[in-house]
Amino acid sequence: MLLFRSEQHVNRWCRQWNRRRGGTLTLHQGWRLAVEWYSDRLSSQWRPKTTAEAEQAFAGIGLVGDFWKLAG
Amino acid sequence: MPSKLTRVREESSLDSDLRLYIYRFFIRHGRAPWVAEMAKGLSRPTKEVKPALVRLTGTHAFVLEGNGELWRAAPFSAVPTAFPVKIGRRSWYGNCVWDALGIPAMLHRDARIDASCGCCNYQMVLNVKDGHLVKREGIVHIAVPARHWYQDIVFT
Repeated sequence: MLLFRSEQHVNRWCRQWNRRRGGTLTLHQGWRLAVEWYSDRLSSQWRPKTTAEAEQAFAGIGLVGDFWKLAG
Repeated sequence: MPSKLTRVREESSLDSDLRLYIYRFFIRHGRAPWVAEMAKGLSRPTKEVKPALVRLTGTHAFVLEGNGELWRAAPFSAVPTAFPVKIGRRSWYGNCVWDALGIPAMLHRDARIDASCGCCNYQMVLNVKDGHLVKREGIVHIAVPARHWYQDIVFT
């Protein structure tokens, strides 16, 4: 998961590395995802998210569609 | 001889202690602990710590090197990366921009991330302050669909 200046730089990177374009997030979504994923990591009660919980977390910040599905 | 249930409970307790020990070591020292340091810190034999580490990899948050030492305890990277994170006088590395943002999210602290564009290496400093990302210019790209993230976590 890399950071880019713009969509044009994402597209250039994909061409350079012969990769299909993947999913993109705004930085705001990236921060929200980080908070969702890591803010409770130092709790002794922490456990990994289930597939359903993770997909729900993605959807909660607008990351929807087949690219963000973990099952299947 | 302990019952299977007792053994599972003991392993679960060790796994939890080890997980928190690793994180606290990272936070305090700015680097990953060696397996020998984990064993000493937890007063447990290495032969118990090594299988516990392998069990922790099942969470996908922990990834080991070929020699059994830590490569990643998400969001911390055990090796230097292009995502250095500075909080106060201390610094760590994230494996990717998600993990780099995850360090201040985990520690609930202000931070500076000296990131750069994955295409042209243009410097893109990110600042987290009072629980918010201050600068929001830029775009995050993930090349691998979510269901395949852990097939090659290094590339992902």
